[in-house]
Amino acid sequence: MSLLSIDNLSVVIGGRVAALSNVSFTVDAGEVVGLVGESGGGKSMVGRAIVGMLPTGTVATGRVGFDGVDVLTMSAERLAHHRGHGAAMCFQNPRGALSPTRTAGRQLVDRLRTHQDMDGERARESALELFEAVGIRSARRRLGAYPHELSGGMAQRVMISLATGCAPRLLIADEPTTGLDVTLTAEILRQFRHAADTDGRGVLLISHDINAIAAVCDRIVVLYAGTVAETGPARQVLTAPAHPYTRALLRSVPDLDGRPVVVTPGAMPLLREAPAACPFAPRCAHAEDDCRADRPQLTEQGRQWTAACFHPLHDAVEAGQATDVTVGAPARRAATTADAEPVLVVDDAHVVYKSRFGRGGHHALRGVSLTVAKGERIGVVGESGCGKSTLARLIVGLAKPTGGRVTAARSSLVFQDPIGSLSPRRSVEDAIGEPLRALGISAAERAARAAAVLDRMELDRSILARRPHELSGGQAQRVGIARALVAEPDLIVFDEPTSALDVTVQAQILAVIDEVAADRSHGSVFISHDLATVRGFADRVVVLYLGRIVEEGPVEEVFARPRHPYTRALLSRGVALVRDLEEADAATGCALAARCPFVTDRCRGEDQQLQQYGESRAACWRVPEIGELL
Amino acid sequence: MRILRFVARRLLQLIPVLLGVVVLTFLLVRVLPGDPIRTILGPNATAADEAAARARFGLDRPLWRQFTDYLGGLVTGDFGTSIQSGQSVGSEMALRIGPTMELVVLAVAIAVVIATVVGLWSARHANRAGDHGIRVLALIGNSMPEFWLGLVLILVGYAGLGWFPAPSGRVDPDTDLTPITGADALDALLTGNMPALTSALWHLALPVLTLVIVIVAPLLRSVRASALEVLRSEPYAAAEAHGLPGRVLRRGYLVRAALVRLPSLAALVFGFAIGSTVLIEYVYSWQGFGQWALRGLLYRDYPVVQASVLVIALCYVVVFLIADVVHAMLDPRVRI
Amino acid sequence: MSLLRTGRSRKDRDGRFGTVLVAAGAGILAVVALAVLLGPLFTSWGPNQIDGDAPTLAEPGGAHLFGTDVNGMDVWSRLLYAGRVDLGIAIAAVAIAVVLGSILGVVAGYFGGWLDDVLMRLTDIFQAFPTFILALAVAALLGSGPLNLTVAIALVNAPAYARLVRAEVRTIRDLTYVDAARTSGASTIGLLWRHVLPNSLTPVRVIAPLNCGWAMLTLAGLSFLGLGIPVPDAEWGAMISLGTGDVVAGRWWTSVPPGIALLVCVLGFSLLGEGLQERADRVRR
Repeated sequence: MSLLSIDNLSVVIGGRVAALSNVSFTVDAGEVVGLVGESGGGKSMVGRAIVGMLPTGTVATGRVGFDGVDVLTMSAERLAHHRGHGAAMCFQNPRGALSPTRTAGRQLVDRLRTHQDMDGERARESALELFEAVGIRSARRRLGAYPHELSGGMAQRVMISLATGCAPRLLIADEPTTGLDVTLTAEILRQFRHAADTDGRGVLLISHDINAIAAVCDRIVVLYAGTVAETGPARQVLTAPAHPYTRALLRSVPDLDGRPVVVTPGAMPLLREAPAACPFAPRCAHAEDDCRADRPQLTEQGRQWTAACFHPLHDAVEAGQATDVTVGAPARRAATTADAEPVLVVDDAHVVYKSRFGRGGHHALRGVSLTVAKGERIGVVGESGCGKSTLARLIVGLAKPTGGRVTAARSSLVFQDPIGSLSPRRSVEDAIGEPLRALGISAAERAARAAAVLDRMELDRSILARRPHELSGGQAQRVGIARALVAEPDLIVFDEPTSALDVTVQAQILAVIDEVAADRSHGSVFISHDLATVRGFADRVVVLYLGRIVEEGPVEEVFARPRHPYTRALLSRGVALVRDLEEADAATGCALAARCPFVTDRCRGEDQQLQQYGESRAACWRVPEIGELL
Repeated sequence: MRILRFVARRLLQLIPVLLGVVVLTFLLVRVLPGDPIRTILGPNATAADEAAARARFGLDRPLWRQFTDYLGGLVTGDFGTSIQSGQSVGSEMALRIGPTMELVVLAVAIAVVIATVVGLWSARHANRAGDHGIRVLALIGNSMPEFWLGLVLILVGYAGLGWFPAPSGRVDPDTDLTPITGADALDALLTGNMPALTSALWHLALPVLTLVIVIVAPLLRSVRASALEVLRSEPYAAAEAHGLPGRVLRRGYLVRAALVRLPSLAALVFGFAIGSTVLIEYVYSWQGFGQWALRGLLYRDYPVVQASVLVIALCYVVVFLIADVVHAMLDPRVRI
Repeated sequence: MSLLRTGRSRKDRDGRFGTVLVAAGAGILAVVALAVLLGPLFTSWGPNQIDGDAPTLAEPGGAHLFGTDVNGMDVWSRLLYAGRVDLGIAIAAVAIAVVLGSILGVVAGYFGGWLDDVLMRLTDIFQAFPTFILALAVAALLGSGPLNLTVAIALVNAPAYARLVRAEVRTIRDLTYVDAARTSGASTIGLLWRHVLPNSLTPVRVIAPLNCGWAMLTLAGLSFLGLGIPVPDAEWGAMISLGTGDVVAGRWWTSVPPGIALLVCVLGFSLLGEGLQERADRVRR
């Protein structure tokens, strides 16, 4: 018998929203199962059902079997015991999920005393051991730390220790890698694999990003609109999924090898009742009449492999379909127009954000030089805190350089948070017309041009009168791009334009951006934390680390032959960084010195300048030796 | 240690604010219409009488001299002489502050306790009949004019039921209470005078009740809102999902997190209560600071107005300082 | 999406009670407003008219619904006329305070610098006093009368709005949509008027009704102490003051009705404010 066995679970919220419809899957002890899908797919509701915390006003039918007992019908006492001891959850955004007024150590001790019947002294010793086990350095000191004193990675480790401290049979992790840097993700995921392998716990990883968690999963369950689209062994689902939605998920995100992104039109529907037909059919390129008439049941596709599809696909995911609309295919690249007139020159720019009380300050950029020619497309990559958003603000004039010079032509910015970038009390038409208003263009012409640019974004003109909160994320971002385009600027900066969006919507927006950037009448700067996203977009790539450019070169060159250890780490080319980003100190010497596996005394003492290596430039004197060190 | 440094720094920052208050009140009372000398002179006073009176209180000297004299006095703790009574302002005030503080401190303390207990209960039973009832009751209390509520309580408690003493005086004079601080209940405790203590508490009951009813609503609303926020917060849900028992949840994850915003609000309410005592003392003939200051204001008794304004400002900023320290102790995120 | 988001149904229930409160508050205020505006229709006595036939302090009943006061004036008609004064002054004072405070708050919050420092230190001094005491001082210095009282109450409430709006503006000016408007080339005035101001007034919308209630209590308190509306004009606080002596003698009708009128009116504002607060919280969550 499985540890967790969900059987035909349906959840209706307030009689109006069918959050889950006939969901079934299992998790065994010692097994890691990934539960993936976009927001609105019902992942959260499954997690809540397992710990018996469905919101009030929801009606759940079916069975959530845990060790043979149905969680949905558990008595209050039984449920109290089940929570934590049976199934324990690691929450998303751990820093926000830890109680701010209680030390990390006491929060862990609370769990140990409740679920492992330890007395105070014993619990404190155990807490120390657990902290060390999840990789918290100077654990004794961290026991007395309050959550706001912990870094994001540290808080995630504390959260894992809290969940494992309950000694659960099933460990649930909600978006365990969201908000973590690339370099930290792998380590956190290893913790979950470890929990399954050594402690024999069942592990359920909930994520919107199938690619991020696939590596540690035994099996994967794909949810779409509250239904299970596909379940199967991780390898199978990743390489040759049977369900078109799984393929859409996989191929909506660019990968490091430059595989083209496939656009799936439309958005996930919000169902009011259990679907009568295949919920994905309206967006599916393979849908036929039966898909729209009947709802497919999960059918056997292979060993332990099922999919809810009448026309399952059986070829490898790499093979393109005739009906695919792809983005960023290398063939469409035009030659770089390096000798065209520059629309942006950043020369040795420094930006220091002064702290409120005058002392010190945050050095966000430390001498960045960058030139963008008309029609050129630059990708800027780096982890959070590397200064990439500051660079965006600097280019469009929102931040002033404290040193160096910035000469920019007329520029506009597309923001990361699409809805937040629109004034809450202004209509879409007003928002798009804002840049034109500043140019003194008449209201009538503003309206005409707003409507025209909206057509280019493939948005219906009826949304012109809407307010931001009435838009979906994808619509809002199209409006944001329309606003950036409408005054025909010489340079458009995209600051993480897709990272706040759902996976299939990301692909749609990437397609729009690709189309916009292909128009060579302006230069483009595309900023992302994700190298892969940049690959399909840019002619040239710049890698930022702690306010400095550490590598720069033509896109194919950087991906084929990364020079700098940091770029290699981002591309996972045999280099693993030590320590978390938040603990790195960049005061003197090479910025990466504190985390670099190849560090020498010279690195610590000497600032690194960009040097030419082949076609690209990197700020590391050891580049020629690294090949041999690997 | 850090807290001591913080307190010292804040006390230093206080000096310019208080100096501003001193300068401003000194100028304002003199610039604005009204003359204190006229009020003490009889109808038959001559110009010579008036000049003599002005000279007696130093009001004939140039403004800057008056100010430096006043400031010099303040440094040595001399608040000047009351024009109305001819008594030392400092010693008059000392008699008046105790009774008012007794009223305000007692009322705010009771209101904070009630707000905490009832607010937490209300949040845990949010949106049920009991919670709705408590909130509406608190709002009604908060909407009452305090002077009128005082009258109604007198009407019921004294004129109607006869349970409480007449609204005149703070303690039965027959109990021979020796005043020390001016706060009668405290003095009775210090001197071990039990009949006086009973009498003082009995006299306190109605005025304190009046004040509590009027000020409890904002405190209650704040505790309830914070507690509700905590109950619906991620950290609390996380602790709940990890199966922690109810007692641990309440003590470890609810109470402290819900009370972090209470101290600064309590300080604000304390100030509001000082304002209210002017009216409440009037209704109960309390002979406190409020009545004294009000009379000073009405007769343009310069030294009295200046001293009372300064004392209120000082009291207010000290209370806020205490609130900030308590806040920092409750909330580890606050850096002081 | 987080697993920890609260369920939808709980939110809806909050909203319902908020709506009930708003409706109750608005209803009470509507009734009061009608009563004081159409007051003369409900009474045959003028506010300052002395009934020579009836004794002073006549008990309620007969020709005088709430009896007569110590001067032999009809309590009921004074009650109705007094409402005009109380409501009018309170609303006018709060309106002035909101406009004045918002302008100062937006300017201080958006531009910062020395202007902000000066304004905030000034409000610091103001805030070192309980508002009632301040109003008392200002009223005592300015002298009584409706206009002076309006100015006094507006003046002591304006700093709170300045601080409130300033705090909002300081948050809003760093929000993405303001940055977006800036990169779109919006002028400073346009930015403030079209993007910052409308969004910074959200808390003001909740506080202002509550503040109308406090303003009425302040006005009544001042009149109670003899610093408000001069006799013989009718005002609720002054009417209560006139009846103070009667209370100890057990004569309730001169002071209890004006107090209840005041209570009901302030309660109307409080319910409205509380309900608006509840609904604002729901939107924020």
